[in-house]
Amino acid sequence: MSFERTLNEQEISLTLNGERVRAWAPSRMHAADFLRQRLGRTGTHVGCEQGVCGMCTVMVDGQAVKSCLMLAAQLDGAEVCTVESLAEENGNLNALQQAFKKHHGLQCGFCTPGFLMLATSLAARGEAMSREQIRDEVSGVLCRCTGYEGIVRAVEEYLSVQQAEGSRFRQAEGSRHAEGAQQAMEAQS
Amino acid sequence: MKAADFLYHRAGSVAEAVTLLDEYAGEARLLAGGQSLMPMLNMRLWRLGALIDVNQVPGLDGIEVEGQGDLEATRVGALTRYASLERSPLAASRLPLLVEMVRHIGDRQVRNRGTLGGSLVQGDPTAEMPLACLVLDARVRVESGRGGREIAMGEFYHGSYAAALEFDEMVTEIRFPRHPQHFAFSELTRRHGDFCVLSVAVTGECDSDGRWHDVRIGLGGVNDMPVLAEAASARLAGTRLADDDIREAAALTQEAIDPPSDMRATAEYRAHLVPVHVRRALQQLCSKNRAADRR
Ligand SMILES: Cc1cc2nc3c(=O)[nH]c(=O)nc-3n(C[C@H](O)[C@H](O)[C@H](O)COP(=O)(O)OP(=O)(O)OC[C@H]3O[C@@H](n4cnc5c(N)ncnc54)[C@H](O)[C@@H]3O)c2cc1C
Ligand code: FES
Ligand code: FES
Repeated sequence: MSFERTLNEQEISLTLNGERVRAWAPSRMHAADFLRQRLGRTGTHVGCEQGVCGMCTVMVDGQAVKSCLMLAAQLDGAEVCTVESLAEENGNLNALQQAFKKHHGLQCGFCTPGFLMLATSLAARGEAMSREQIRDEVSGVLCRCTGYEGIVRAVEEYLSVQQAEGSRFRQAEGSRHAEGAQQAMEAQS
Repeated sequence: MKAADFLYHRAGSVAEAVTLLDEYAGEARLLAGGQSLMPMLNMRLWRLGALIDVNQVPGLDGIEVEGQGDLEATRVGALTRYASLERSPLAASRLPLLVEMVRHIGDRQVRNRGTLGGSLVQGDPTAEMPLACLVLDARVRVESGRGGREIAMGEFYHGSYAAALEFDEMVTEIRFPRHPQHFAFSELTRRHGDFCVLSVAVTGECDSDGRWHDVRIGLGGVNDMPVLAEAASARLAGTRLADDDIREAAALTQEAIDPPSDMRATAEYRAHLVPVHVRRALQQLCSKNRAADRR
């Protein structure tokens, strides 16, 4: 049986850091190379290409994944967030990046994009986490410089601030809902 | 390293996936979570004609309970990701041993992608899911263009990394009978989240008079595939899991094992560890039961 060689190339449409993009990639190209070489987002680093080091960690549809273990073709239709999405528009570091700076969560910085994206996905879960749980959750990115202490402290601080803000937000939402319900009831009576 | 060239297909249904498998006649593989397949391709341990991506196939990632009492069964779709099992309240109540063991797999990113079906087909002798499914007496539902069949976990492997599948077959579902009352798990790993040196999963039922029956002892990492220590289990039938019972049963597990020597441990070390961990798991089984009694 013969197969068209066009299957060797894939057209990929995705949302990258909030922006719609379209590009072609060879079927065998992994997502990390695609982000770097085809889309020019070199913040995603490549280390082992066998799923062990976590340097290539990005968020796909809200989940932290190792992009060397996904094909570029699998990003078709996906929403992808890389480390380039974190800093504010004026170039200021976001709260997570500032926490890394404050707690000396990086030295050479090679592992940092991986940790930042993993921590971003953790914050999105909105759960309170002990330091022990944080250690467990970030164990899929390796760092050869810092000894992890600063990284864990930075993530801990960021998560607790996010959590507090999240619950303030939820409370505000809740009281708005309660007000709405009250008004609705009053309107009915 | 980069994977060698291959063709890529995205299957929209089980029928399409198995048709493609058949057409490639053994030169293609299904791509599920990619957490084993992609490293092997990137390291060029494997060269394939094509990958058939099944991540878009609908309906294969659910957890459902059917029947009641002794006939109760839980069905888990082959593409159910580890992270879904970790977070599912239904899985936590119906398959607590499986969920406990899932947490020992890899790291967050691996658990966000890896699938139950992928792990079973990969057939790593040290993997947690094949051991959990064996101890829980699961059956694997398989489809191909020739029809479907079910394979008992006890018959699912020919050897290490060798699931008993034909090249045109796809795993669609794993079916678990009612979960045993009590369970415990113990494993040794060299590093956090690494593949284990060895693992032990035990389950059992305990009567109101404190006598145990249907004790199952599963061992991972000490043979070509996960195995049940049948003689040890038989030794425990009708006992109260007293210290002597546990010690003698732990010694009997030696009959079931043929441990390998590899970079993680020597065969001698593994043989030494098996009864130690079996003893620990059985003691845990016993003490969890007592804790449950007190409640
Ligand atoms: C850093 C790292 C650490 C890890 N640590 C552990 C660990 O501690 N314990 C552990 O158990 N595993 C571990 N793994 C492996 C992981 O569990 C994999 O997810 C699993 O082995 C394969 O599942 P998958 O869905 O990723 O399958 P894939 O990699 O997509 O596929 C694996 C094989 O199964 C076949 N396949 C997949 N789905 C089906 C199906 N439905 N029907 C037929 N064939 C199918 C594929 O064709 C392929 O041959 C680790 C992986 C990494 C990268
Ligand atoms: S480069 Fe992806 S995990 Fe190392
Ligand atoms: S800062 Fe250098 S590897 Fe982490």
